[in-house]
Amino acid sequence: MWHNVWAVIRREYLQRVRSKWFIAATILGPLFMGGLIVVPAYFASKGEQGARDLAIVDGTNVLYDRLAPKLVEAGWTVHEERWHADVVTELREAANEGAIGGFIMLDEITLENGEAVLYTTDRPSALRQVTLRGSIARSALEYQLEQRNVDVESMLRGGELRVEMLANAGADMEDPQFVVAYIGAFFLYMVILIYAVAVMRATLEEKTNRIVEVIISSMKPWHLMLGKILGVGAVSMTQMAIWALAGVLLFAAGVPMLIAARPELANLAEIREALPGIGLLPLFLAYFVFGFFMYSGLYAAVGAMCNSDEEAQQAQWPVIMLLVVPIIMVTNVIEDPTSSMATGLSLFPLFSPILMWGRIAGGGVPGWQIALSFVLMIGAVFAIAWVAGRIYRVGILMAGKRPTLPELWRWVRQS
Amino acid sequence: MRDDGYAIRLRGVTKRFGKHTAVDGFDFDVPRGTICGLLGPNGSGKTTSIRMIMGILLPDEGSVSLFGGDPDATRRTKVGYLPEERGVYRKMKCLELLTFLAEIRGVRRPEGRRRGAEWMERLGLPDWMDKKVEDLSKGMQQKIQFIGTVIHEPELLILDEPFSGLDPINQDVLEEIVRDFHARGTTILFSTHLMDQAERLCERVCLISRARKVLDADLRALKAAERKGVVAVEFEGSDSWIQGPEIERVVPVNGALHLMLREAADHQPVLERAVASGARILRFDLLEPRLHEIFVRHAGAGAVGDAGVPAGRSFTGSSTGGA
Repeated sequence: MWHNVWAVIRREYLQRVRSKWFIAATILGPLFMGGLIVVPAYFASKGEQGARDLAIVDGTNVLYDRLAPKLVEAGWTVHEERWHADVVTELREAANEGAIGGFIMLDEITLENGEAVLYTTDRPSALRQVTLRGSIARSALEYQLEQRNVDVESMLRGGELRVEMLANAGADMEDPQFVVAYIGAFFLYMVILIYAVAVMRATLEEKTNRIVEVIISSMKPWHLMLGKILGVGAVSMTQMAIWALAGVLLFAAGVPMLIAARPELANLAEIREALPGIGLLPLFLAYFVFGFFMYSGLYAAVGAMCNSDEEAQQAQWPVIMLLVVPIIMVTNVIEDPTSSMATGLSLFPLFSPILMWGRIAGGGVPGWQIALSFVLMIGAVFAIAWVAGRIYRVGILMAGKRPTLPELWRWVRQS
Repeated sequence: MRDDGYAIRLRGVTKRFGKHTAVDGFDFDVPRGTICGLLGPNGSGKTTSIRMIMGILLPDEGSVSLFGGDPDATRRTKVGYLPEERGVYRKMKCLELLTFLAEIRGVRRPEGRRRGAEWMERLGLPDWMDKKVEDLSKGMQQKIQFIGTVIHEPELLILDEPFSGLDPINQDVLEEIVRDFHARGTTILFSTHLMDQAERLCERVCLISRARKVLDADLRALKAAERKGVVAVEFEGSDSWIQGPEIERVVPVNGALHLMLREAADHQPVLERAVASGARILRFDLLEPRLHEIFVRHAGAGAVGDAGVPAGRSFTGSSTGGA
């Protein structure tokens, strides 16, 4: 009776989405995070205004033209002071009177090793110091490289490595995106665990609550389990959709706002370029969905066979191990995505969500392996549903001692 | 399958838990429209039997049919079940919970909502519809659970110890509702260890003890059959009529006289003689055996004694019947 499954989904979804926990985690969470970044930056940008007017005394005559644009871009106002005998005394007075924020002395030593001196009345923040130091060093380096006819831009960007594939094996692979691979894998681990555990807790609650007998007299245990899993799954999708939207807003509106307020944070804009292409998003979601279905089935069975939270804590460890193993392996797999170990482990359905994702984002998976992983996961979903459904069906109405493994096997065989 | 006139039929139903036999070869019929009590001490197998009727447990042997057919086909929409251990979704609002319970038994949501509200009015909870179940007192929660049992207007009500844990006033309210359903033609099976409650409510009783059925009969016929032939009389005037061939012995009890009749003797000639003698008859009462006595006689005193359930007393200790 799909009608019943639907009723369970609806109840589960509405109860959860209306709960204070969900509202806090889903809506206030990103707001809070965003606020944490934007608000201090905003106030900080107002606070340090005075120190942003810098005088530069350029003893080399070649650095100012290179340095000034960089500092202006990062939010300072600069002007050049000619070198003369009393320049330090004069500028010091100006700074003490508050006419300027401070002054930088550049000389031949700066050209050789990037050292310079900043005289200032307020100690600048660590971030500003880094920006200043980096800009000065880079200006010196640019000058030195230009003297030797070197392509300064390309060298300082870190060069470029073009990969030309000789065989066909990896021709359809993407460029590696290590950060995305790692963060994505850990995020998958986290959300799969959180929501699968939610299914377990819901099952356990119904059981200890004794409402399950009333429900089971009106529908098949399998329908109840399915409704629970789909209901919690729908909640997870809602939550991730809101998070994704918040993330997009943060990068589309929040980061430019932040950079406008604190130009020295301009590097943040590069994060956007490091984010996965839209093409990876459906794959990410697909691996989440399959991972969630597999693990929530296992967790539903764990919940059904236990009688208390304490018991469940113990009984869930084999399932947690199944999630922890790929997390331990993911570093190796991302670093060497084409090894036979990486291939083999990532095709094991219970490891696929985390490891295959790591390989895909790490850039080492031929398309047929991705397809195969989904075929295997579909098989696993059905197999787990079959086994877990049987354990669930017996366990959900069972009181008393937690079953041993042989007993569990009997449950699976008998029902 | 055709309707055989029985709401519930069990044939040779047996359930074992490991070495322990909880229910042993149980044959049990509940004709449609009757109100039937399933009686027995704690641990005798009442809850296990009911769970098998409800399909929560599968019998190791024997068969269960409801309304003359496959129980799975009718259970969801035609049966209302109040388990012994009653649970609720504590975080749900009362009316939402009732709507949900109606929905999973095939009642559309708006209709379920309407009925839920109606019942809450009727049971004196109109102000609690949008309150969470956990905010209700235990007694009120039991009312909600009962509404949840009947909200889909089942044809068969199966209530496992429905009266335990209720205060006397709410027991009366619930009894009244049960009678009301009975009057509307609903078949009712309820388990209890309270013999006098069963005596008040039931048309049929089924007594089980130590996993076995001891008795299964129409209550009135049972009492007639078990009548020992004792007439309690109170009168003013002549006592000459007390002498007679029917009467074996006379015992004074609480200001009345108990006339012990001989085996198979009829009480009617005694009454005729009494009227003829001119005595003023205040009471002429064929004493019926109490259900408790019948049970003790059939199950043996030990069966009742070791479970410690004398008639008319409530024991709220938890049952092991479902373990």
